[in-house]
Amino acid sequence: MALAKYIGRKVAWTLVVFIVALLLNFLLPRLIPGNPVDAIVGQMARGGGSGGEQLEQIHQHYMQEFGLDKPLWQQFFIYIGNIFQGNLGTSFANYPASVGSLISQALPWSIAIQLPAILIGWIVGNLLGAVAAYKGGWLDRGAFIGSLFLSSVPPFALAIILLFVVGVQLGILPIGGAYSFGLTPEFSLAFFGDAITYFWLPFWSLVLVFIGGQAVGMRSMAIYELGSDYVNYNRGLGVKEGHTVRYIFRNAMLPQFTGLALSIAAIITGGLVTELVFSYPGLGTLLFNAIGQNDYPVISAITLLITIAVLIANLAADILTGFIDPRIRAVQSGER
Amino acid sequence: MSLRGLSPRFWVSVALVGFVLFVGLIGPLIVSTSPDATVGGLYDKPRCCGPLLLGADNEGQSVMANLVYGTRTSLIIGLVAGLIGTAIGLVVGLVAGYRGGWVDDVLSALVNVGLAIPTLVIVILVSVSLPQRNLYTLAFVIGFTAWFWVARAVRAQSSSIRTREHIDVAKLSGAGFWSILRRDVLPYLLSYVVMACILQISGAILFESTLSMLGLGASNTTSLGTMLYWAIQWGSIRTGAWWAFVPPTLMLTLIVFSLLLLQSSLNEVFNPRLRRGRAARKKAKDEGEELEEVSVEGEDAGPVGSGGMLETPVSAGHGEAR
Amino acid sequence: MGTLVNAENIRGVYYTGAKDVVAVNDVSIKIEEGEVLGLAGESGSGKTTLGSIISLIARPPLHVEHGTLEIDGQVQELGGHAKIPRTWRGAVVSMLPQGAMNSVSPTKRIRHLIYDVMRSHDSKISKGEALDRARERITALGLPTRVLDAYPHQLSGGMKQRTVTIISTLLNPRLLVADEPTSALDVTSQKILIEMLLEMLKERIMSGVIFVTHDLPVLRTAANRIAVMYQGKIVELGPTEIVVERPEHPYTQALMSSVLAPEPAYANTRIEGMSSFDRSLFDAPAVIHK
Repeated sequence: MALAKYIGRKVAWTLVVFIVALLLNFLLPRLIPGNPVDAIVGQMARGGGSGGEQLEQIHQHYMQEFGLDKPLWQQFFIYIGNIFQGNLGTSFANYPASVGSLISQALPWSIAIQLPAILIGWIVGNLLGAVAAYKGGWLDRGAFIGSLFLSSVPPFALAIILLFVVGVQLGILPIGGAYSFGLTPEFSLAFFGDAITYFWLPFWSLVLVFIGGQAVGMRSMAIYELGSDYVNYNRGLGVKEGHTVRYIFRNAMLPQFTGLALSIAAIITGGLVTELVFSYPGLGTLLFNAIGQNDYPVISAITLLITIAVLIANLAADILTGFIDPRIRAVQSGER
Repeated sequence: MSLRGLSPRFWVSVALVGFVLFVGLIGPLIVSTSPDATVGGLYDKPRCCGPLLLGADNEGQSVMANLVYGTRTSLIIGLVAGLIGTAIGLVVGLVAGYRGGWVDDVLSALVNVGLAIPTLVIVILVSVSLPQRNLYTLAFVIGFTAWFWVARAVRAQSSSIRTREHIDVAKLSGAGFWSILRRDVLPYLLSYVVMACILQISGAILFESTLSMLGLGASNTTSLGTMLYWAIQWGSIRTGAWWAFVPPTLMLTLIVFSLLLLQSSLNEVFNPRLRRGRAARKKAKDEGEELEEVSVEGEDAGPVGSGGMLETPVSAGHGEAR
Repeated sequence: MGTLVNAENIRGVYYTGAKDVVAVNDVSIKIEEGEVLGLAGESGSGKTTLGSIISLIARPPLHVEHGTLEIDGQVQELGGHAKIPRTWRGAVVSMLPQGAMNSVSPTKRIRHLIYDVMRSHDSKISKGEALDRARERITALGLPTRVLDAYPHQLSGGMKQRTVTIISTLLNPRLLVADEPTSALDVTSQKILIEMLLEMLKERIMSGVIFVTHDLPVLRTAANRIAVMYQGKIVELGPTEIVVERPEHPYTQALMSSVLAPEPAYANTRIEGMSSFDRSLFDAPAVIHK
């Protein structure tokens, strides 16, 4: 019962934050002075090819399309309505491509590197940290310094170094893109085999940093737990070490879960720039191009997507913690 | 806190930070070339020993000069944004934690929303809307969006300090709200604030470089991030012009690494419970009576994540406060 | 009433980075069957260290340089690199830790710990059997069986301490070393805990108790004999009434006169304090009452 209440509160809270995020996503870009449509039509006029009347029509069309002729609050409701219908608008820069289509092309690539990086990084990182803490000695010292370094290196820095060393100097792995020139994406083994070579460098850039971070965190928590009273008591009662170890890691993991959501936020945002370094056609490159072209619908949609991903990650981590740590749901539902 | 208790890690990190400061602050005085002066052609190779020590970048400008001035820019942004962020977080946290009641509820709700929305998202949205981007606007934007985790951690601690006896004494002797905060609550938080500030600075520097690489950097000055932006744009990596991207990358990594190392070694000094072994903890328990149980590992200080976009710039990872 | 435990020549030293601290300075002590021996002294006297050495949980940076423990005719070497059999802990000598608050992992229910303790000593025991035995013990000592399913934070301080007391004695150890068991409790809970310990002693659940505490008034009701420690040595040892009312060692005398007890007898007496290390007290010969 306490658990259900706890989950309920967390879901409600997530929704509240989501609404605030929607508001921000909507309002902030619209605070720019000037009318974006003017800018675009101005560009088109300079490019030549359309006469005065046609430009007028195009201008009107855009205004209607983007709803910029209506008052702000109406625009907001149109915006929300569209979102829930899955319509993220039309791209300014790549008119008439819809934002949705652009994103759906880029998204799978981003997920392909980030999801495995997060999962593998988390598991390996925590294991490494736990073992290092438990064994102590040289393994611990080496693992700690190494992880510390890896975790403080910005992912794009690691990306650049890897790209240079492995891609350019050693020439082992390709240096840009997601697949060889001339191929088209499809679900075939041949394509997969090719795409995977492009996958390694971006993947390793992300996963190494994540491992470093998790290892350092887990190691600290495990060290802390190793010195705690219940470990001592267990020992004093002759409990076999194997049993106690399970208690230790369970407790040490808790903060890692809480931290997981934030780590995910960090990986996602770090991954964006990593994609840039490798010209990997994921959301990062899309965002980069959109920024360069002042393509607000795309920018806005990507930021919203990132926010949603992070919120979901947060929620999942909170729920997991609620399952594992009985104190959390007790505190929340006022049991104490 | 004796000097003897400072680990080698501390001194190494101080040395590294010192080096970085030297490059950024004294460097521009030594390097006589201006970062905007054309000293060579597109990606000229490095040559000893003048302005082309580290070669030329895509505009034929001296990489060495840009590196040095860029470091300074990144440091300034980091410092300004870091201080702003720490200050806001400190004040909000103090007031919320100490005051309690509806003030706390409102501020905490605000902080939690701020924490839940990825900072990068907000900063991108704001930066994109700015008419012009210079050094200081960037620093302000970063500072104003990165303070949430500090506020949460400070709030937790100040609300626990609120229940201590010396606060009652202060109240009974008629001290005002702000005076109590300043003189009776703040001193206990000082060690935490110092460490939080270091994290804020390193986070801000990383933030700025990420923004610059996305194309949202300062438009009139060089920073390490903008150097990398141009390096990527002009394909220096592909063409093997390592002098264009390796120096800024190394410098950035060095800055962030040394700050995090400093923070982690200070953490062990301020919080003896983290030291390994039972006697250390026993010793800590004895010392602990005077030492404040302050740690950067409020669950609020966040986990260790990638060094890149830190929602809560991370210490070399720690979890909950106990 | 024979000797239950004979601890001889125990020397415990903390190897810290800076200076070695001799916490237990060649101490020998006997515990008789069926008795509660109070181990009293101020913080830093070595009583907790002695307690942890006897309950076999000493570990670095605490080093036992030499010492032996004899129980039921079996002699266990404690010093140097002696290997202490895991199964002795909890079953022969058991510890009751200070601050039961954190002695149970916060994320597991009490019954998990109980099962782990029992199966560490009897690998064939089933979960059902283990819990049944625990349930018997719990009800026999007056606690509700719901504690089995509880998480530590769901129990009050006094309840937790009593639950932990039961867990510590599940395996019917010969000797129980209780480290400040009453220090974190209110007076009523203290009384209940002490009664429970005495009851368990009567039922021969354990055969002897070492009660380590700095709280002298508590020992008056709980202990049969009291050993007073000062700077790593036992300075006075004897039956409770004598040590408390007619102490002979100057340190004990100073200690007793600095105790504040809210009783009418003290209404008009002056309480003297003591300095932390007094050479004359340290050099005075130890007093052993028969």
